[in-house]
Amino acid sequence: MLQRLRENRSAQGTLLVTPTLIFMVGLLIIPLLLTLVVSFGSRDADGGVVYGFSFHNYLRLLGYSTDCPEGQSVCFNPLYMDILGRSVTLAFQTTVLVILLAYPLAYFVARAHPKRRNTFLFLVLVPLWTNFVIRVYAWMMLLRKEGVINIVLGWIAGLFGLPFQPLEMLYTPGAVLVGMVYEFLPFMILPIFTSLEKIEIPLYEAAADLGANPIRTFLRVTLPLSMPGVVAGTILVFIPVMGTFIVSDLLGGRQVILVGNLIQNQFLSARDPTFGSAASLILMAMTLVVTYFYTRKFGFGEEIVAV
Amino acid sequence: MNPHRRHPAISIATVLVYGFLYAPIIVLVLYAFNASRTNIIFEGFIPSFGELKMDGSNVVQSPCGPFHWFCELSKNREVTHAARNTLTIAFVSTLTSTIIGTMAALALQRYNFRLKGFSQLSLYIPIVIPEIVMGIGILVLFSQLFGLINNALGLGGDSRLSLGLGTVIVSHIAFSVPFVTLVVQARLQGFDKYIEEAAMDLGANELITFWRVTLPTILPGVLSGALLAFTLSLDDFVITFFTTGPGATTLPIYVYGLLRRIITPQVNALSTVWILIVLTAVFLLQRLQSRQS
Amino acid sequence: MNNKMFWKLVTILAVTSLVLAACGGGGDAEPTGDTEIVASTGFVCPAPEPRVDVTSEELNIFVWTEYFPPEMLECFELVYGIKINRDEYSSNEEMYAKLSAGGTNYDLVQPTDYIVELMIREELIQEMDLTRLPNLKNIDTGYLDLPFDPGNKYTIPYLAGIDAIVYNADSVETPPTSWADLWKPEYADRMVFLDDSRVVIGMTLLTLGYDFNSRDRAQLEEAKAKLTELIPNVKLFDSDSPKTAIIAGDADLGIVWTGEAFLANQENPAIQFVYPTEGAVLWQDNWAIPVGASHLDAAYAWMNYIMQGEIFWLLLRDYPYTNPNLAALEFAKANHPDVYDAFMNSPITNPDPSVIANAVVIEDVGEALPIYDEIWTEVKGGE
Repeated sequence: MLQRLRENRSAQGTLLVTPTLIFMVGLLIIPLLLTLVVSFGSRDADGGVVYGFSFHNYLRLLGYSTDCPEGQSVCFNPLYMDILGRSVTLAFQTTVLVILLAYPLAYFVARAHPKRRNTFLFLVLVPLWTNFVIRVYAWMMLLRKEGVINIVLGWIAGLFGLPFQPLEMLYTPGAVLVGMVYEFLPFMILPIFTSLEKIEIPLYEAAADLGANPIRTFLRVTLPLSMPGVVAGTILVFIPVMGTFIVSDLLGGRQVILVGNLIQNQFLSARDPTFGSAASLILMAMTLVVTYFYTRKFGFGEEIVAV
Repeated sequence: MNPHRRHPAISIATVLVYGFLYAPIIVLVLYAFNASRTNIIFEGFIPSFGELKMDGSNVVQSPCGPFHWFCELSKNREVTHAARNTLTIAFVSTLTSTIIGTMAALALQRYNFRLKGFSQLSLYIPIVIPEIVMGIGILVLFSQLFGLINNALGLGGDSRLSLGLGTVIVSHIAFSVPFVTLVVQARLQGFDKYIEEAAMDLGANELITFWRVTLPTILPGVLSGALLAFTLSLDDFVITFFTTGPGATTLPIYVYGLLRRIITPQVNALSTVWILIVLTAVFLLQRLQSRQS
Repeated sequence: MNNKMFWKLVTILAVTSLVLAACGGGGDAEPTGDTEIVASTGFVCPAPEPRVDVTSEELNIFVWTEYFPPEMLECFELVYGIKINRDEYSSNEEMYAKLSAGGTNYDLVQPTDYIVELMIREELIQEMDLTRLPNLKNIDTGYLDLPFDPGNKYTIPYLAGIDAIVYNADSVETPPTSWADLWKPEYADRMVFLDDSRVVIGMTLLTLGYDFNSRDRAQLEEAKAKLTELIPNVKLFDSDSPKTAIIAGDADLGIVWTGEAFLANQENPAIQFVYPTEGAVLWQDNWAIPVGASHLDAAYAWMNYIMQGEIFWLLLRDYPYTNPNLAALEFAKANHPDVYDAFMNSPITNPDPSVIANAVVIEDVGEALPIYDEIWTEVKGGE
């Protein structure tokens, strides 16, 4: 039988992939299907699910509302679309900022001495090995009114004899942005580094030989070749930002409601799993759409997770 | 042009970004020596050994002096228990997901079989699914499953299947495997098969070829995937929360729960120790590297 | 990356991590003899009275974070030889979500009053046998037989508290006295609120003269309109540790609960707690036994043990809430008068009976809950 297995390539492949497939189907696909089924149901009085087939949760998300000012029976409630829009905007802003910060560092490490590259990379990873929640909490310590930044600024102002009013940084949308950028920066640095590292030295030398100045080299050679890394990093940043709720919870003072907060709320305080499931699926659909169009334009880099 | 020469602007930017990355870490470490139990405002470094006043009126015995919170940490059973759980889960799930993920990557890159397209696609799901959806979905799945099995086999009391360390490990494997697989796949893409074929021509069977030729070449990819899986597992909160049971609390859950009351500098002390360990390891690695050449 | 170096790194990390984890095993106390059992802080553990017969070796509890003096847990483990496995949550809804999904194996949970009714309806908790709880006699009857669990068929009290207004006298010129005062423009952008739709919407209903637990759509619409004016003035929402913002100066006043107010006042005596005239919000945390618990004997042993005065008084010392345990108060009065006095003299932990009489309680609103949630999302989400 072993001999037959040896000859049957297809069976070998199937065998190798089976354990992974079991996990994927059992722990991801089945729960997803469950979510789909629940999203078409309705909420019963106590927060349980009444199974059925109705699009009312999705319609509600898109703005369909029967709770209208006098006269109208049906109107548009922009509440949930606003939340989605806000999340997309934040994700977009975060991604742009992350790219701007990650690129120089990735470039630096890619051009560094090969022996030291690993060390630089590890230094990028070390903060990730503390705890996610603690890192956000550390930002609270930095940004609050009597936090480290204000103390330092106050001290500096004191040196120059200037009056100083502590900055209100915490519990603002800006704080949420800073927190998100911080959390996801390493996930952009690594893919960009990987693609930059692959650019071989002779390419630079050739460009220089042909008379290109450093800026031209960068725009015409480096940047295009590093795009797969940027794409991979964007996917690794954009998608989680849409779904994170802890950062906006802690740094935004729970005033900044994103899709992640909405979903968490539905499953916990509001006890409406049907609505929460619908919102989750819409979120997933959006991320899939964004990913699809983005990779179509820029190509799907293998650098998505390579180090 | 010297390939290692960089524009000074890049170097400055790099220093600034590293500074940004480490500013919170430095603050974390500083506050580990905070002379304040409530840890809201920095009240100054713990000044001395022996008795000291904290937060105005609380008198505290501190035989460890400035390292007071580190001593408290070592006595804190809850934290160390949670740390142990976190590490156990991370190691076991990383090991398992690395092995089966590598197998899957080999399958997807080298072979053609009926479920190939479906398998490849399914690997992208954990990347797009919100954690809370996955967490609750898995919880419901386990509950139904355990309910059925417990009833069918008539299990009761402590022998009943229920949420605990096992369910957490299983769910961590689920979200780690795709990352391992994708990384190894990327590595396999550039792999030239002629070496393998040469080995086989020389008489090695598949297993030996794999062990002596394939594996060493893809090892960097495998290890990167393992590293990623380990990192993801260490930090996971949402999915762990929904799949954990009595006695299987992990650090992220413990810390997030602490935010409800007082988050004493013990947590900062823990982070400091953790960072020291990792930095030491990195430093040693650097020394080993330079010594090897 | 060179694989040899990587394995060395992994080994170093693994070894040091394991060493760290192993080191943490210390701190366990050993019985010094058969006459006295001492916890690791030096606290002498009282003997259980009455001693319950137990065969279980473990107890699984699912409880609020940071709600137990360490000696309480340690002493129970020592005198009974039972290992306590503790999981924690920071909101009733989290606890409810996990329990209703099933598959969990807890022996005790700590639901707050309003969610008890729901859990009874959903058959998540089982009836208690009060004959197995002789120490229930220590509890003030004012905390028993309440509307959410008549006759205490399913729950017994643990601790209670009040949600009311806190303010920093140093930075707030005219202190608030009522919920309605919170709408004053001078408080704009200086407030911290609980992230709790029931409390915030409820108190708005009170300012309009309606019932705190109203299910009337028209009334709720009015509340929503009124709340829409208020929410932009709130700096942050925090149900985890609202005192932090007040102490740190990020907020000057807000809505917090008893324990937070007491601790904030301890840290900064300028921080005051005031009970609004329309009525503060009473709540009570209780013990309940989930359906399917496997260590019932240990659960009863635990509940009896901690209700003893000599153990429960630790809560007076560590967790300043209103205390329903009369035996604990007696014990503290006799043996730890400083703790007792601090507790009794504080209007926070020992409010005037008129405050309690005027207070409201959160009750389940059944089918109106989605309305509350939509209002909440709308007022918080709109900008």
